[in-house]
Amino acid sequence: METLKEVFRSLYANKLRTFLSMLGIVIGVAAVIMVMSLGAGMKKGVTERLTSLGSNVIMVSPGFVGGRGGTVAQAVETLKESDVKAILDMCPSVGKAVGLLSGSYLVQYKNSNTRISVYAAPNEIFQILNLKVSRGRTFSEDDKSKNVLIIGQEAAYNLFKNEDPLGKRVYIVQGSRKIPFEVVGIFERTGSILMFNPDRMILIPYETGKYRVFQSRGGISMIIAMTSSPELSPNAVMEIDHLLYTKFHGQESYYNVVSQQAILNVVTESVNIINLVLVAIAAVSLVVGGIGIMNIMLVSVVERTREIGIKMALGASRARILVEFLVESITITFVAGAIGVLLGVLGSKTVVNTFGKTYGLVAVIEPMSVLIAFGVSACIGLFFGFYPAYRASRLSPIEALRYE
Amino acid sequence: MTPRKVMELVDVWKVYDMGEVKVEALRGISFEVYEGEYVFVVGPSGSGKSTLLHILGCLDRPTKGKVFIEGEDVSKMSDRKLAKVRNRKVGFVFQTYNLLPRLNALENVELPMIYAGVPARERRKKAKELLELVGLGDRLYHRPNQLSGGQQQRVAIARALANDPSFILADEPTGNLDTKSGEEVMAIFKKLHEMGKTLIVVTHNPELLKDGTRIVKLRDGVIEDMEIRGVVYGNT
Repeated sequence: METLKEVFRSLYANKLRTFLSMLGIVIGVAAVIMVMSLGAGMKKGVTERLTSLGSNVIMVSPGFVGGRGGTVAQAVETLKESDVKAILDMCPSVGKAVGLLSGSYLVQYKNSNTRISVYAAPNEIFQILNLKVSRGRTFSEDDKSKNVLIIGQEAAYNLFKNEDPLGKRVYIVQGSRKIPFEVVGIFERTGSILMFNPDRMILIPYETGKYRVFQSRGGISMIIAMTSSPELSPNAVMEIDHLLYTKFHGQESYYNVVSQQAILNVVTESVNIINLVLVAIAAVSLVVGGIGIMNIMLVSVVERTREIGIKMALGASRARILVEFLVESITITFVAGAIGVLLGVLGSKTVVNTFGKTYGLVAVIEPMSVLIAFGVSACIGLFFGFYPAYRASRLSPIEALRYE
Repeated sequence: MTPRKVMELVDVWKVYDMGEVKVEALRGISFEVYEGEYVFVVGPSGSGKSTLLHILGCLDRPTKGKVFIEGEDVSKMSDRKLAKVRNRKVGFVFQTYNLLPRLNALENVELPMIYAGVPARERRKKAKELLELVGLGDRLYHRPNQLSGGQQQRVAIARALANDPSFILADEPTGNLDTKSGEEVMAIFKKLHEMGKTLIVVTHNPELLKDGTRIVKLRDGVIEDMEIRGVVYGNT
């Protein structure tokens, strides 16, 4: 108790120096807290976006065949409509599965034209990928082979600029032919999910696409499957994998099976690694701050040599001198840690308020990270304060008393 | 009844090893101090006064010989035990007062009691009494830089008395003071002597010696002469 009082008094007596020595730790802790909270926020954001798609979605895409690369044309050759049926029949864990056709086409409206990804899919795709329209409508059974399309908002802007796309007639250019389509809906803005970015694509009914645009003879670009629950996802992946392995006679490079769950895991892992690296970088400033504290404490020991001598003459043991200096450095770092946590929290709030809207950032402040920050800064005080404190405690009382 | 022996030096040597040369600061010092004595250690500079002061104050250990304080041999004690002896048995008064500048008079006097683990209420009361004893009852909350040299030295004396030590050990207590303040300090020493306190004063100032009961004269690390005045204890 007395020691604490004494410590506060001596810290207060050297206000500027105390403040400067705190600064390193304050900045370090604030940086760590900011990085941790923004990192946790980023992880939350990414995870939420990925799970919004449903963690029970599985995607089968053609692999890279030979040396020719995995272009759409080749993909159409490897996966077939019959594979969708086979998956539905042979893989008990799979609930729904649809085949998709995709390609990049020039789309024309009046005098403007632009290249847009066109997907053709059965109506189940709305359920599986949780696709919604913000205006207009989705496809009905009647639309099955009609020339209608739903367009993403970015694609719509590129094509129509400020005109309202709903009900407009556009043309998908296929070779020398121009196929007319009517815009019946506009997708909700979602950002990219998996390989899709609804904002930048056009969706047309499967039959329409198959016969009029892609002119496919049963080949498809990819298969999207869904299990009834996320837990079944790993099983379904294995079942599909096994089926296709058999079909392609062990040519694993002919196809890819990826579950949303697996992607989620990979992404989460990468986000974790990024966060760890960022925290490590921020932690370097903590170490630098610690060295600053050590520096100041060493100066302080030299400066207070006489005081140490007096205290020793009055009966303060070496242990007591050691503890006094340790308490001093720990107090500095602890208070600095508290200020740092406060600044870190305010800082990440500010960052989120400033840039959050644009980049979809959120800050997640975990009580654990605050506790860790406190703990670490106290430990830094202990670690970097020990050597100066030890030096103080080893002073010879005679020499110390003689010191001017 | 024979008075208690507070302190005894038996053939104390202190040799500083300066590499090639060895400096013999003390060469076989033996004397004793009884309770209630007012001892002066005098001698020119280089006579070994400071070295002897450090050994008497348990700030240093002799190279050879024994130092007894209240019958206990402190010449081989660990640092930790020596700190305890300094705290309980020795009351230091320095030439430069050595008060802690950030503490007020009261807190300075309390400091040795804090080290001794005296409860707050009790030490505050004791510190007040001691400051009143040295005539500073109205300066309790003054910082050292708000006090004159003489007042600071009186605070130091009150601090030296805090844990009822076996003896007060003063090093040139008037060395930094003007004549009047010096006289005031010596008057307080005389008063303490009359109260039965044991005092050891190290000085080179022969004017201070008039009240002493034992004058130890050092020269070149040995006792050149020892003068015993008034009541003589033990020695026959």
